[in-house]
Amino acid sequence: MYKYSEKDKKIIAGRVKQFRNQVQRRLNGKISEEEFKPLRLMNGLYLQLHAYMLRVAIPYGELSSRQLRKLAEIADKYDRGYGHFTTRQNIQFNWPKLPDVPDILEELSKVEMHAIQTSGNCIRNISADHLAGLTNDEVEDPRPWCEIIRKWSTFHPEFSFLPRKFKIAITGCENDRAAILVHDIGLKLIKKGSRIGFQVFVGGGQGRTPYIAKKINDFLLKKDLLNYLEAILTTYNQLGRRDNIYKARIKILVNQLGVEKFKELVDESFKKLSDKKLELNETTIQKIFKFFELPNIKHCNEKISISSNQKFNNWIKQNTIPHKILGNSIVLISLKSENRPPGDANSMQMYKLANIADKFSFGEIRVTHEQNLVLPHVKNSEIYEVWNELDKLELATPNIDLITDTICCPGMDYCALATARSIPISQQISNFFKDYGDQKKMGNIKIKISGCINACGHHHVGNIGILGLDRNGKEFYQITLGGSSKQDASIGQIVGPSFSSENLIIAIKKILQTYQKNKSSDKDDFMTVFRRIGIEEFKKNLYDNTGKTN
Amino acid sequence: MSANDLLTGKVVFYSPGGWSFRSNDALKINIKDIEKFQRIIEEDEKRCIIVSPEFVELDESGHIKTLRDKIRNSGVTIEI
Ligand code: SF4
Repeated sequence: MYKYSEKDKKIIAGRVKQFRNQVQRRLNGKISEEEFKPLRLMNGLYLQLHAYMLRVAIPYGELSSRQLRKLAEIADKYDRGYGHFTTRQNIQFNWPKLPDVPDILEELSKVEMHAIQTSGNCIRNISADHLAGLTNDEVEDPRPWCEIIRKWSTFHPEFSFLPRKFKIAITGCENDRAAILVHDIGLKLIKKGSRIGFQVFVGGGQGRTPYIAKKINDFLLKKDLLNYLEAILTTYNQLGRRDNIYKARIKILVNQLGVEKFKELVDESFKKLSDKKLELNETTIQKIFKFFELPNIKHCNEKISISSNQKFNNWIKQNTIPHKILGNSIVLISLKSENRPPGDANSMQMYKLANIADKFSFGEIRVTHEQNLVLPHVKNSEIYEVWNELDKLELATPNIDLITDTICCPGMDYCALATARSIPISQQISNFFKDYGDQKKMGNIKIKISGCINACGHHHVGNIGILGLDRNGKEFYQITLGGSSKQDASIGQIVGPSFSSENLIIAIKKILQTYQKNKSSDKDDFMTVFRRIGIEEFKKNLYDNTGKTN
Repeated sequence: MSANDLLTGKVVFYSPGGWSFRSNDALKINIKDIEKFQRIIEEDEKRCIIVSPEFVELDESGHIKTLRDKIRNSGVTIEI
């Protein structure tokens, strides 16, 4: 795990001091809200519907047990005893008080955490595959590259006031678990002969105008990564629109210019930069890679024994993955237990999970962009004990990748921009489909829910996407089908008129019936069927003879 | 008339005694008087009491009209 250098520590301490002063000036009336807003946003502090919200960065989703304990402590001391893990692998506290925020940031700085780059028109926290460095299907661990980019991008003087926010994600393998194709820049580590480099994708994104990113470089040498990113960002910074917030993201620029023209401009700019100041040398790269070496995990032949406990067996099947070191497993902790808001964890769960991580997983925890947590290195011989501990904490729901493992934004329960609630929808789904056997029969299905068109709940790339709308003061939900954020990414297609919250479950049931009816084998998952039969077949069953579905 | 309290971010309602956390205390304002109250808002924003002011629409029977405002008044609709 990356450790702060003295310089990092100084920068963060300086930033806390600076923000303390800014808050003081705001409270004393020396600066207005208009002046204060950009300052607080640069420190991750939003004003939501009925409270402030502080978004804390968890770079590429990696947390130590010490950091998790600190988050639990902050939840108890300054908030309402819980935190919400987000789709960008960060955590949000929903109830901090303005005068406390500098203290919170100071406490965070003691465990090498901060809230920088979690808001504003800058390069945001870089996200990565939550299984980085843990599986055999990987070309290379993306985390060191995230860290290299983080170092370059933090407080980059030219890129602190971009036309709009800017999100980068990296994957180290073909199986994309980081949703790189719906990011402003997506990087994929690939191997060409004996060399490793990057495929570069730009202009992906969700929100009002969703786009899948387009490839602009088939093989970028590692040494050129920062120069190339600088070239992309410079092009965007110069040409991206600043007159219309809805047209300011890089995806709009790429689509207006056309990908070929955009690539040409980037290449031109890159030529001027390449082999210059930002070229990475092997020593620098290796120095960063050192931080991400695996802990001392023992290789052994121990397998997970089947138990007489069916709950445990289900959980093993659903929530564990073999670690690349034989005899060990990766444990996925679902934050989607019944009746809990997706992604929420209370302070007691966080404290105890930190202890579990210390005892069984070298003190490491990860956050996934699907709002779950990971214990990255657990010995197979100790996995029953881990399950037992997690079960006591209500953290052993066996539903990873199943229908109740929804992604869901905070929606109108918290968010000032929302047009409808999203958490109650996710809870309805959890309640309705709670039986593990039934979920398993349906196979892997991603349901993603957003409370407005900003799409923080990634509904555009849900196999079933749900978007909350306001129709004459009433909550309605539009369904999209066929979205995916994987390597074969696609934007979901709108199925038709929206549904009231009461009829939404009936509609989902009908969609699932169509899927089940059209499966040609048990192995067919939802996307396979959708891509084979198309949306019309789903529409027919959804709106025909239904009486009143919507 | 509502806003967020500058210190806590909590929703406050303008009442005869000043800003209150209780909507029951809220002063009901006729649409034609809005301008007068806008001046109070501006003053209280300057005095660092409130932030993000907005008017809450009421229906004919005097109840909060929109779901958003209902949530602002009663809090989250889920168990946390
Ligand atoms: S999608 Fe909309 S409602 Fe949901 S968190 Fe984002 S801005 Fe808020």
